[in-house]
Amino acid sequence: MMESDAEVLGRVARRMIAAARYEMVMMLRKRSMWIVNGVIVLLLVLTSLSSFREALRDPDAQQSMARAAFLLNVLLPIGYGCLLADRLIRDTRLGVAPLLDATPTPAMGRLAGKYLGVCVAAAAPLAVVHFGFAILYSVTAGRPVALAWAAAGFAVVIAPAVLFVGAFALAVPLVMPAPLFRVLFVGYWFWGNLIGPTAMPTTAQSLLEPAGGYPIQELLGWHGDGAFTPAGPVPGASLNFLRPEPSPATAWLSIALLLALAAVVLAGAHAVRTRTTR
Amino acid sequence: MRIEISGLTKTYRGKGPALDRLDLVVPTGMFGLLGANGAGKTTLMRILAGLLRPTAGEVRIGGYDVTARAGRLAVQRVLGYLPQDLGLYPDLTAREFLDYVALLKGIDDRPARRRRVGELLDVVALTDDADRRLRGFSGGMRRRVGIAQALLADPRLLIVDEPTAGLDPEERIRFRTLLAKLAGQRTVLLSTHIVDDIAQTCRELAVLSHGRLVFRGTVEGLTKQADGRVWTVVTSGPAPASGTIVSALPHDTGMRYRVVGPQQPAPDARPTDPNLEDGYLALAQQS
Repeated sequence: MMESDAEVLGRVARRMIAAARYEMVMMLRKRSMWIVNGVIVLLLVLTSLSSFREALRDPDAQQSMARAAFLLNVLLPIGYGCLLADRLIRDTRLGVAPLLDATPTPAMGRLAGKYLGVCVAAAAPLAVVHFGFAILYSVTAGRPVALAWAAAGFAVVIAPAVLFVGAFALAVPLVMPAPLFRVLFVGYWFWGNLIGPTAMPTTAQSLLEPAGGYPIQELLGWHGDGAFTPAGPVPGASLNFLRPEPSPATAWLSIALLLALAAVVLAGAHAVRTRTTR
Repeated sequence: MRIEISGLTKTYRGKGPALDRLDLVVPTGMFGLLGANGAGKTTLMRILAGLLRPTAGEVRIGGYDVTARAGRLAVQRVLGYLPQDLGLYPDLTAREFLDYVALLKGIDDRPARRRRVGELLDVVALTDDADRRLRGFSGGMRRRVGIAQALLADPRLLIVDEPTAGLDPEERIRFRTLLAKLAGQRTVLLSTHIVDDIAQTCRELAVLSHGRLVFRGTVEGLTKQADGRVWTVVTSGPAPASGTIVSALPHDTGMRYRVVGPQQPAPDARPTDPNLEDGYLALAQQS
């Protein structure tokens, strides 16, 4: 009996969810994930203690949660980007790949499941810290609405960054050694997010900044501290064509571009894997 | 499921052919595949499991063309595959790993899946260790998990590549018996370089050498290849120089050698009845 399109989709979705579930479990059981994230959070708290205090004292819950999301998104991706770098290549290293490739689940479905699973796991420590801060703020400031803003910040700032970084961290080590990827990724993160656009050509404060300058500014309403603005054209900087005037539309465009790039990279990973294994 | 292979060639980039115009028909039941390391057995297994694309030739399993996507998927739905270099996720327990593979194999119904996983853990005697992480498993225990995952979806085609490697003698016998039992209505393709595994389980077999088929027939047929070529030599002097020494055992008056070769290796050498290993060696000498 022929399966309908809906049945085929349902079948593939079930396999994808299965892969996501077990990949997530395996990642969450990885002790180094909690240690690395713990160390980064500690560093972040120590180096940005005044910013967190300021966020905690800010009477505007929306501003406070946006600032917290930005602070987390500046450093924590370095940790999970490095941690996720072995997730796809290890199937071959461990010798599990032939066994899974011999199942009737399409490789692309498994890859998508693995991607979603490890991204959810990578987002777990971020969620603990982010929502932990939101709860602390809600209790101390008596503003439970902060939890809603924390959820919004997680959805439009942290999650797109996790999905963007996760795709590259899974895919790129297929074409270069994972340690090299980690070194290059840390370099990229500082270059692409933290270096001032007037210092050198960079994607910082542009639509392609995974730290999420546009959504933070336009969807969460945080316009930065002092002279620093998270998004928009920077006088005297190159690559300003990637920094249109901030608006809600450009904020959504920034998110869409990050997700589209992630999808392209994942499709590339699938193509590379298919070519090298068959 | 009948396997029909014709003109199958696989060439890896920068190397000679791993399989060279192979023609072979494998009927339903237990079938052995013998060959030295590098003979092309694993390449053939990987092509049959849909993991490798052949360079040329045709492979049909149960009527499905394995080289086409639809055919490959159809075969993989009824396939149990135990690869030679078996890998497992160290962070999962045996039960979780089997559950994961069962899901990927399409066993969606949770109670049925749990039941099947439990049954197979029992079959491979891992029930007591089912909830331990695979990281701590010995080589033999890992192999047993591999065997269990191959049997998950009640496969009609079972491809097992060097399945008894790493198993202790008792486990090996248990697994061989299990394979023989499974072979009733299924096709079980057993690839190995351990001749005894084939001798104890298969009626029919093929022998590969340098990617080519050098023998296809029965176990008795391969054994007959050594008729008149097996000798026993008892000597206190040097070992026989001609032929291949199969075994050397201490004897009251020196050493007793079992030799396979076309010529009598010593004047006092006595002809001996061949076994499958002798037949395999005699074939290797001729090809």
